[in-house]
This record gives sequence, structure tokens and C-alpha cells, in this order.
Amino acid sequence: MFRSNRSSCSHRVMQAESSEGLLQRRAEVRRRKLLLNSEQRMKKIVGFSQNEADRPARVLEPRFHLDLECNEPWSSSCSSNRLSPLVSDPSESSGEEDVSGGVQQRLAGSPRRGLQKYVSRFDDAMKLRGQLSAEKTAQDGGGEELDSFCVFRLVCSVALAVFVRIFVCQYLSIFAPFLTLELGFMGLHKYFPKVEKKSQSTMLTAALLLSGIPAEVISRSTDTYRKMSGIFSDLCVYFFSFITCHELLLLLGSDMS
Amino acid sequence: MAAGFNWFLVLSSVFLCNLIKTLLPSISSFLSKIFQKDADQEMEMRMEIQNMKMELSTVSMMDEFARYARLERKINKMTDQLKTLVKSRTAQQAKMKWIVNIVFYILQAALMISLILKYYAEPVTVVPSKWIAPLERLVAFPSGIAGGVGITCWLVVCNKVVAIILHAVS
Repeated sequence: MFRSNRSSCSHRVMQAESSEGLLQRRAEVRRRKLLLNSEQRMKKIVGFSQNEADRPARVLEPRFHLDLECNEPWSSSCSSNRLSPLVSDPSESSGEEDVSGGVQQRLAGSPRRGLQKYVSRFDDAMKLRGQLSAEKTAQDGGGEELDSFCVFRLVCSVALAVFVRIFVCQYLSIFAPFLTLELGFMGLHKYFPKVEKKSQSTMLTAALLLSGIPAEVISRSTDTYRKMSGIFSDLCVYFFSFITCHELLLLLGSDMS
Repeated sequence: MAAGFNWFLVLSSVFLCNLIKTLLPSISSFLSKIFQKDADQEMEMRMEIQNMKMELSTVSMMDEFARYARLERKINKMTDQLKTLVKSRTAQQAKMKWIVNIVFYILQAALMISLILKYYAEPVTVVPSKWIAPLERLVAFPSGIAGGVGITCWLVVCNKVVAIILHAVS
């Protein structure tokens, strides 16, 4: 009986030992599985998984591609490839990715370009936003000052209008001397100190920039508009001075025409 | 004689409108000060906070922690109340500014429309038509009288000139 008890005890001890060993073996297997799948798990955490590679291209956000197996030194080509999860380097692609690798490379060209375009426009938009907010405070404080050439133009317009009213208007149209004056201004412009006109970014220029129109075209159009606006201001001042002078002369009763 | 001063009437109206436009911020701030009720209360609260802060600087945190904490709590509470008051005052100022701007633009539009309707058929002044050739039709619009200066042309010219003058002066 004692022997049977002893045997049953030892059997139980053996069972316990074997179960403990089994538990340890299972733990060991789990640990190995964790270590082997760590890369996939990291990709999942970062946001790229194997399933997403099979889906059609999502180019909305650039994602950081972690590649623990790549032994190549860090280079620009390598880094640019890593920017998009859709691009897979053939040297590092595993067997499972080979099937979708070709599809990914075909898709990588146009979405990446589109993504880069979007990112560059987004940067421009953020810069313009900063400029707009800065210029709004500047505009609230004070507008554009009249430079010396502007003042010269206005004074010349007034003087010419008075001169034309007194001496010239009975012989020809008042707009002919004005056109001559404007031609003269175009020639005299270079003799005056150039004032750097700060390009004012408005909502319109921001919208034009974001819709794809080059900045150079916008700046040239703005420059042309500014010049036309200057000529229109001169014309208004000239005409106003002419009419005012005419009315004052009528009022004073002098008939010099 | 009255007809001879039409151009001056339009010019004066435009000048007055532009002048009031430049003074709009001052007008709105003046009106908001008149209609503001809690100005004294705000000033009192600021003084009180300042006094309490001075008192707090004299109290030692180590020696009289309870008093220090009590005073700090009072300061924080009053600062929050002041912030609420300032917020409501700012909102009231913005509302007043908005109202003043709206009223001004309505009055300006009404004035311009009335001038256009008054001088729709007659020009503000008349000059020999050959003086303003070849733009006599454009200048005479909408009166249609040869050699006349129409209300629209004169309004545009006056607006531009008055804006330049006021910009140079300011």
C-alpha cells in the first residue's frame, strides 16, 4: 500500500513537472512568435499593414515606412521610397508582397506626384495665411504711402489740367495732352527712386494660387492692374481739376476761351 | 445759379461720405462708451485685483499659507469675473461697430441713389462737346446731352479724388 501511495505521489509529481514544462514550453513558443511577428505588429501600430497594400492607392497622408530588415545605408533614394507605403523596394519585398509589388509601383508614380503637388500647395496656403494675417494688421494700422513719383504724377496732372483749360482746350480734345503726359510718365519713371511695392496677398491671390495659376502670372497681372489703376487715378485727378478750373473760371466771370 | 452748383453739391456729398467713413471707428468707440453700463464696475474690479496682488506680495507663503491661499483664490475669482466682463464689453463694442457700419453704408447708398435719381436726366455741368471728344458719350452717361458731365462719371471721379486727398492727409 505504501508502495502504491509512493507510486501515486511520484506520478502526481511527474504530472506536475510535465505540466510545468508544458507551460514553459508554451510560453517559450509564444515568446518566439512575438519576436518573429514584431515587425508586422510595428507596421500595424504605425498604420501600414499587409491588407492596406492590396487596397487601391490612398495618397492622402504620407506615412513613415519602417523597414527593419533593410541593411542598406540611408540614402535619398532609399528615403524617398520609404515615404510612401505604396512603393515597395524589390530587394526588401517578401514573397507575399511580390504579387502586389508591381501594382504598387505602377500606382506610386502619379499618386506621389499628386501628393507632392498637394503638399506644396498646402504649404503655399499656410504661408499665404500667415501673410494675410500679418498684412491685415499692417493694413489696419496704415495703408500704402504715396511715393515721390505718385505725388509728381498727381501734381503734373493738376498743372496740365489748368494749363489745358486756360490755353489748349479750344483747339483740341483735353484727352490728347493727357495721353502725352502719360507717355512722358512712362519715360520719366526710371529717373525716380524705385519703391519696392510689397506684394499684397489677398484672398483672391490666395484662391488663384491654390487653383493652380502660377505665381508669376498672378504677380504680372497684379503689376499690370496696379499700373492701370495708376493711370486711372491720374485721369480722374486730371478731369476733376479741369472741370473745377472751368467752373471756377465761369464763376469768376473771366472769358478766356 | 443753382444749376451751376450741381457739381459742387455732388462733390460735397462725396467728400462728406468719405470723411465720415474715415471717422467711423472713432464714432463707434464713442457710442459704445456711452452705452456701456459696467465701465465703473470694471475699473473698480481692476483696482481691487491690483490691491489684492500688492497685499499678496507682502504675505509670506510659508508663514501664513492659509491667508495666502485665501487671497490667491479671491484674486483668481475676481480675475475670472473681470474676464467675463471684458468679454461682454468686447462683444458689445463689436456689435456697436457692426451696427454703425451698417447704418452708415445704408445712408451712403441712399444718398448716392438719390443723387443719381435727381441728376439722371440732367448733367451736373456742361462743357463744349469737342473738349471731351471722343469720350463725350461715356462722360455724359446717363444724361445723353452732348458735352454734359453725367452723374455717374462725376461720382466716380469725385470718389477717387477725395479718397486720394484724404489718404494723403491722413
